Amino acid sequence: MTRLRPQSLLRTTVKGMAARKARLALTGLAVVLGAAFIAAALVLTASIRSTVDDLNGAAYAGVDLLVRPVEPETYGERLVREGVSAETLAAVEASDGVERVSTTVSWMINALDDNGKVVGGFAPTSAVNWGDESTDRELREGRAPETDGEVAVSAKFATDSGLGLGDTVTAYSMTSDKTEYAIVGVYGYPGGRDSLSGGTELAFTTEEAQYLVFDGRDVYSMVAVHAADGTSGAELLDALAPAVGAEAETVTIEDYSAEMSAETAEITGVIGNFLLGFGLVAVFVSVFLIANTFSIVIAGRLKEIAMMRAIGAGRGQIVRSVLAEALILGALAALAGTIVGVAGGAGLTSAVAGRLLDSAQVSVAIPPSAVIAALAVGIGVTVVSALVPALRASKTPPVEAMRAAVKADKPITGVTVTGAVVTAAGAAAMALGLTGSLGDRADLAGVGIGAGLVFVGVTLLTAWLSRPLVAALGALWSWSFAGKLGRRNAARNPRRTAGTAAALMIGVTLVTATATLLTSVKASLTDYFQDNVKAELFVTGPLTAAVSPSFDPAVMDGIREVEGVDHAVEMYYDLADIDGTEQYVNATTDFAGIVGLFGGTVAEGDDGALADDEIAVNAWAAEDLGVGMGDTVTATFSRGTEAREFTVAAILDDNENTDGWYVAATYTDEFYTTKPTMALIDVADGGDVAAVTAAVDGLLANEPEVSVQNHEDFVAEMTVFYDFAIIAIQLLLGLAMVVAVIGVVNTLVLSVLERTRELGMLRAIGMTRGQTTRMVTVESVTIALFGAILGIAVGVALGWAIQSALVETGIEVFAVPTALIAGYLGAAVLVGLLAAIAPAVRASKVDILAAIAYE
Amino acid sequence: MPLANPPAPTGVLTRTRAAVTATGLWRAYGSGEAQVVALRDVSVQFTAGAFTAIMGPSGSGKSTLMHCLAGLDTTDRGTVNIGETVLTGLGDKALTRLRRDKIGFIFQQFNLLPTLTAEENILLPASIAGARTDPDWLRRVIDTLDLRDRLSHKPTELSGGQQQRVACARALATRPEVVFADEPTGNLDTRAGTEVLRFLRRSVDDFGQTIVMVTHDPSAAAYADRVVFLADGQIVDELRRPTADSVIDKMRGFEQRAPIAERTAR
Repeated sequence: MTRLRPQSLLRTTVKGMAARKARLALTGLAVVLGAAFIAAALVLTASIRSTVDDLNGAAYAGVDLLVRPVEPETYGERLVREGVSAETLAAVEASDGVERVSTTVSWMINALDDNGKVVGGFAPTSAVNWGDESTDRELREGRAPETDGEVAVSAKFATDSGLGLGDTVTAYSMTSDKTEYAIVGVYGYPGGRDSLSGGTELAFTTEEAQYLVFDGRDVYSMVAVHAADGTSGAELLDALAPAVGAEAETVTIEDYSAEMSAETAEITGVIGNFLLGFGLVAVFVSVFLIANTFSIVIAGRLKEIAMMRAIGAGRGQIVRSVLAEALILGALAALAGTIVGVAGGAGLTSAVAGRLLDSAQVSVAIPPSAVIAALAVGIGVTVVSALVPALRASKTPPVEAMRAAVKADKPITGVTVTGAVVTAAGAAAMALGLTGSLGDRADLAGVGIGAGLVFVGVTLLTAWLSRPLVAALGALWSWSFAGKLGRRNAARNPRRTAGTAAALMIGVTLVTATATLLTSVKASLTDYFQDNVKAELFVTGPLTAAVSPSFDPAVMDGIREVEGVDHAVEMYYDLADIDGTEQYVNATTDFAGIVGLFGGTVAEGDDGALADDEIAVNAWAAEDLGVGMGDTVTATFSRGTEAREFTVAAILDDNENTDGWYVAATYTDEFYTTKPTMALIDVADGGDVAAVTAAVDGLLANEPEVSVQNHEDFVAEMTVFYDFAIIAIQLLLGLAMVVAVIGVVNTLVLSVLERTRELGMLRAIGMTRGQTTRMVTVESVTIALFGAILGIAVGVALGWAIQSALVETGIEVFAVPTALIAGYLGAAVLVGLLAAIAPAVRASKVDILAAIAYE
Repeated sequence: MPLANPPAPTGVLTRTRAAVTATGLWRAYGSGEAQVVALRDVSVQFTAGAFTAIMGPSGSGKSTLMHCLAGLDTTDRGTVNIGETVLTGLGDKALTRLRRDKIGFIFQQFNLLPTLTAEENILLPASIAGARTDPDWLRRVIDTLDLRDRLSHKPTELSGGQQQRVACARALATRPEVVFADEPTGNLDTRAGTEVLRFLRRSVDDFGQTIVMVTHDPSAAAYADRVVFLADGQIVDELRRPTADSVIDKMRGFEQRAPIAERTAR
């Protein structure tokens, strides 16, 4: 016989939870997602770091020190690479404690594929010396290069270029002419890798590599030092100091590895932060989801709670029993999320390592901080979210137990007033910031904080807004009676509808605001080009190429003769030393043409051609250097060996398109790129742009690095980053949608349960299953659309506010991403439809007899 | 128009058309040891234009009988006809359509939709069917139930009696073949209950409506033309032109058989 004893409140709680497993599981899913993203982000970052360390350790096995040239402070496009000289190499090799040394010659070059186009794009092509020991290269076919005319290529290069053993490859650097090499070998890397970090590589003899990289000088990019037995790296560091001198520096292999890790960490940090962002959004959204679910669960248990209060349970006990439920749910969900996140982070590390490092071997690190953070956030957010419903539950008067029917929700006045105040405060802060009343820096902060406040305020106002908006949305369904009923149901409980819609609203607000801003940036750039640049077509190459794309100036003669071309000008470009500072210098045979086609104007001086010793400059660059009309400046170009003097002959009005300095095309041989890097083509009024494009395209057949582009292409190339950013932001919406689906399902299932009797009655008096399904679906879609519309409205408004605040930085155009917004509405409908499936089926299968039978 | 009290049954014997007919109904729940037989070979007819009450102790099967007659529950054996239509063997769709078009329901708990006004609740069956209601008829029903001033009210703004009157109007709005009322006065005080019963009586007398009412209240049953008594899943007796006293007398007779009834109670 079992002993009779009072059940502890905790046991009651656990039993209660077991009875509504499915509902709690749905609620917990949002917490699982949040915890998982956080854990994954931290695991990924740590794992990539440890993977990079391992790779470096393997690559430099046995190496104790590295000797490398001292990098100059300025990072321009330096033509001549610095190197460790042969003398230093000899001195290091001869030093005590050095067992042996190996040398590396390595820098980026251009190589052409089987179609005569430059291989690569984002991932660079490098030239190395085959003897380089920094990496174990494993020959797969053929042999190592033995003469200057031979090359071995990495497997990735072979794949990308379409060239292979026995073929000839054309390669060249900034300092060398195009040279043909016979491919005598194809190689891979340890672990069966085709590339290191995704780049392509060509291995030459050391002399040939020096010809390409160092213009034939006998210097090296890096020298790896193996210490003799019994000598430590640290001891050697001091011993080598005299041999290395000032032109080079020595680092221990540990420090070097740390540098490499830090570089990789920057990239993985971006991915990690992105995941963290996802996690935080999921957590933020789940606050509403959890609070809503607990409110609904408690509403359903009001009688039970009142009964417990009536028989003597204290308010504290009620709060504790609800919080205990939240704690258990939070712990389970956070634990599940952490496990999923750690596993996901490990999986992601493989994917990222594969892409970024082309490494199949991954070392997964699970930092305790990842587990702790994910658990703490998951549990914390669940308990905190349940606090308000718990406190509300504890205020249930015991007499509620005696009342026949549970009354509708508490009034929403309090929340509405708070929401209105917060929104107003936010709007005021934004207005102050936008009108510039707060002073430079505070203006932007005002807009930012204001935007945040408006966001929170509107979230609080959702309950109040739900009535009119849901009623307005109802017009969509007025043709169907079941639709009308569904819409009424959606409006029935504003607090619940708002809490449910908020999940979607938050996600949509974030993506809409970001997309609006980015679209505005793109539109501003496009507009700027349309308004300011007179040239219709550009001849230019990808900005991401390792070697600046350039072309033979001879093609310009052909272009000028193309029918419909009014004017065509080529431009040379260099980063030169002017009066001791690094400055952008353009060279052109037609100064007036360039200024005209770029939409610039000359403020002072002559806008005709520049003489050999004349220079023109944009007003702000002149101001920077403190030079004026008639002053003399000294300029040394990238390849130049002597300083040349120029007289300032013209000053241009400030204009971003005509930024920098202009000289005649006299000294282009001394430029970093000795050939033109860009041409502007102005098509005559009424000329056929398409025909000109085609003709110019034909003329560029033998120019592998450049192509002809119109405004759109050109702007698209410049704004390609924004497209990536917009896509990445959409992923965020995807996540918010998943949570929103969960939220809507949760709310609807609970509503269906609450309305069982009603559904039974409707079915009894003749409502078909189809109508019942439609009624629930309409409720679902209405809630989702409500959230999305609110999110779009707030998002566009915030996007506009931020754009307005940034007008001075050049984002002058406000553009609404209409296609994306239409997509969001579509997505909301999809969320509604998906979320409705299970609750609608449940509603249509209500057992009529059980539903209408009186207790 | 004041109603006669006690109500005078009118011409029961002259009406021969049956609005609802049940023949040899069997209904059991569960299986094996736990099986409970709710209906045992019940055959009964409900005359069109008459007010019939079904009575019996709790567990006698009266609610089950009504559910089977109304197409809400299935039968194991036997057939049910509503007018010309045979219910037995109909699928969910056909049954739903039949309930919508030919049957009106009045529930103990009123079961009005809280999101709709009184008027919208009254029009609910027609709205579901996408059909129009005869406005003259509707006006008559609403006036008879004295609901004109309450049409724009939500159920929460109405008293229990008013809510049940709205439910009555909803049941009659589509002029169904038969109205099933399940303990319509069970949740009402005596006054409100009397109002509802008077209306039901009047809708039979004045509108020729057929009503089948399940009740355990003898004074409610006294408003009917005929009372059918159920015990232990079987029809054990019936009473024409009942009065509250004659119903109580009959009931007393059955209550001695209560042990059997309790054993078979669901």
